[in-house]
Amino acid sequence: MEIDRRSIWVLLGLKGLRPLFFLCVLLLFWYVVTMPVPAGLTPEGKNAIAIFLLCLVFWVTNVIPLAITSLFAIVLVPLLGVLPRDEVYGLFGNEAVFFILGAFILAGAVMHSGLSNRIALAIMEKSGASPKRLLISIYLLASVLSFFMSEHAVAAMLFPIVLDIAKGIGLKPGRSGYGKLLFLSLAWGCVIGGVATFLGGARVPLAVGILHETTGATIDFFTYMVAVFPLVAVMLLVGYLVLTRAFRIDVESVGKAHELLARRIHAMGKMSSNEYAVGTVLVLTIISWAIWGSTTGLATIALTSVVVLFVFRLVRWKDIEEYVNWGIILMYGGAIILGSALERSGAAYWMAEKVIGGWVTSPLTAIAIFSLFTLVLTEGISNAAVIAILLPVAIGISGRFDMDPAIVTYSIAVPAGLAFSLPLSTPANAIAVSSNYLTVRDMAKVGVLMSLTAWIVFNLAVRFYWPLVGLGS
Amino acid sequence: MKKNILIVLSTSRTTSRAIDFAVDKAKKEGSGLVALYVIDTGLTNEVFDRFTDIGFIGDKPSTRLTEAIMKEYRQRGYEEIGKVQVRAMEENIDFDAVTAQGAFVEKVIEVIESHNVSTAVVVKRKTSGFMKYFSRSVVDELVEKAPCEVVVFEEEE
Repeated sequence: MEIDRRSIWVLLGLKGLRPLFFLCVLLLFWYVVTMPVPAGLTPEGKNAIAIFLLCLVFWVTNVIPLAITSLFAIVLVPLLGVLPRDEVYGLFGNEAVFFILGAFILAGAVMHSGLSNRIALAIMEKSGASPKRLLISIYLLASVLSFFMSEHAVAAMLFPIVLDIAKGIGLKPGRSGYGKLLFLSLAWGCVIGGVATFLGGARVPLAVGILHETTGATIDFFTYMVAVFPLVAVMLLVGYLVLTRAFRIDVESVGKAHELLARRIHAMGKMSSNEYAVGTVLVLTIISWAIWGSTTGLATIALTSVVVLFVFRLVRWKDIEEYVNWGIILMYGGAIILGSALERSGAAYWMAEKVIGGWVTSPLTAIAIFSLFTLVLTEGISNAAVIAILLPVAIGISGRFDMDPAIVTYSIAVPAGLAFSLPLSTPANAIAVSSNYLTVRDMAKVGVLMSLTAWIVFNLAVRFYWPLVGLGS
Repeated sequence: MKKNILIVLSTSRTTSRAIDFAVDKAKKEGSGLVALYVIDTGLTNEVFDRFTDIGFIGDKPSTRLTEAIMKEYRQRGYEEIGKVQVRAMEENIDFDAVTAQGAFVEKVIEVIESHNVSTAVVVKRKTSGFMKYFSRSVVDELVEKAPCEVVVFEEEE
């Protein structure tokens, strides 16, 4: 039995802190709900803002799980009369939610089959004994895998391999420049690759879901890739240059890592028929998303692939349950409901005008401000929460400049994934720091520079590249 | 009962100067040497929570991940303790090793009490002058609560 040795006053204070916090949030919520309706806002809009503030506080402080915060939105929106109950639960079945679900089940099947692990090991092993080539292979591998599956799942899968490599070549935790490089390249590879497609994280489908529910517009799988891929390529290059300038490669050879990878591949045996089949389903799904995504619907294709996996017994329900966190449905469903409530009640436009209306003088300044806000916020809170908070407001102001709301959606959805500086911003960063090969200071030092670069590169792409591919012109 | 010098090693804090000091002190005073390696489970729990609550990754990959981190920390612990053991053997000092998982301060105090420790040697993370005003190290808390002398070393660059 463990004895808590802290003083009774400290213990009572700590116990009382949480209820006190909830009481303060409740009072703030009550104050907004009961205050007179401000000019230009409807009573429903005012209530929507009260729910928005409540969720904002909980998402930022993370005092309760993100998914449970979303439940507040689901419960409070009909309760306060912002939207009818039927409509609220109808939004919960949004296509984006089912696309996210299908994509996570597919990724779970790929991981369970061992295919992703095999691909990762094979690519790393090909890098030979050169430290630079191994570093590049980890960086690009993390990035490319994050094009096809959740970047968080990629980080979780690659971390034990990179840890074994670091140990195998005898790197000193906290002291080796190459150790810092390995773990930062893993984290940043996932972060940058995660914004390249709809599959890297659920944030892009969430943003597209909010866009669709609030304006009727949408962004298809292929258009998104065309818009974002060059940006990803530039960020990968800049990221590599920043990392290799900041930290020195202080090892001559990584021959031992090469041997270790070869042993692991040998231990996996030959590629099984299950791996071939799951790989085929994944490839066909991605091709279908790119070709028929806009006509058939991304969710329909994703769920068809899931059905195929089960029909051919490539995966069992029990296996999938271990790889998918069902809280994701609540989180993303709730975020879409909140976004729709803000937009339909007029609260999003009202807030946009009051909060940032004075600063925004043109469409380009609007995008610059939104992308900057997003990059700063995403360093501190979950990137899905950033989208749920900022996107309805950003869409609200797009009408003032006759801007395509899809462009505004890009300016929030893409930077929301680019968190480079802090371990609390994204799981990939947290895991890199937990290795103890690098410190929070190491990450922040280069991460701030990278975030600034990301903002500049993104806004240059908006100004010069997007008009070339017919976006925002 | 023979007095002991305690050298506290942990997942994120270690320095050779502290080990040298503890070995020299034990030899000079004719005491035994106890090496304690504390594995901070708070960090692994935080990683698990980040992956499940924010990344929405299922239990299996998150559990595998935290197990990989714990395994790594344990191995590092054995290596660190091994280094101290070699030094103790070279100097012919009685040696005992303990590994513990959990909150740093509690685990150190438990060992101080159970091993009749007269001096505990710990390593403190380096913090900038500015941050010192805003953060309180667990080592500061240990100095305040420990029932014996605590010698603090700052971690090496």
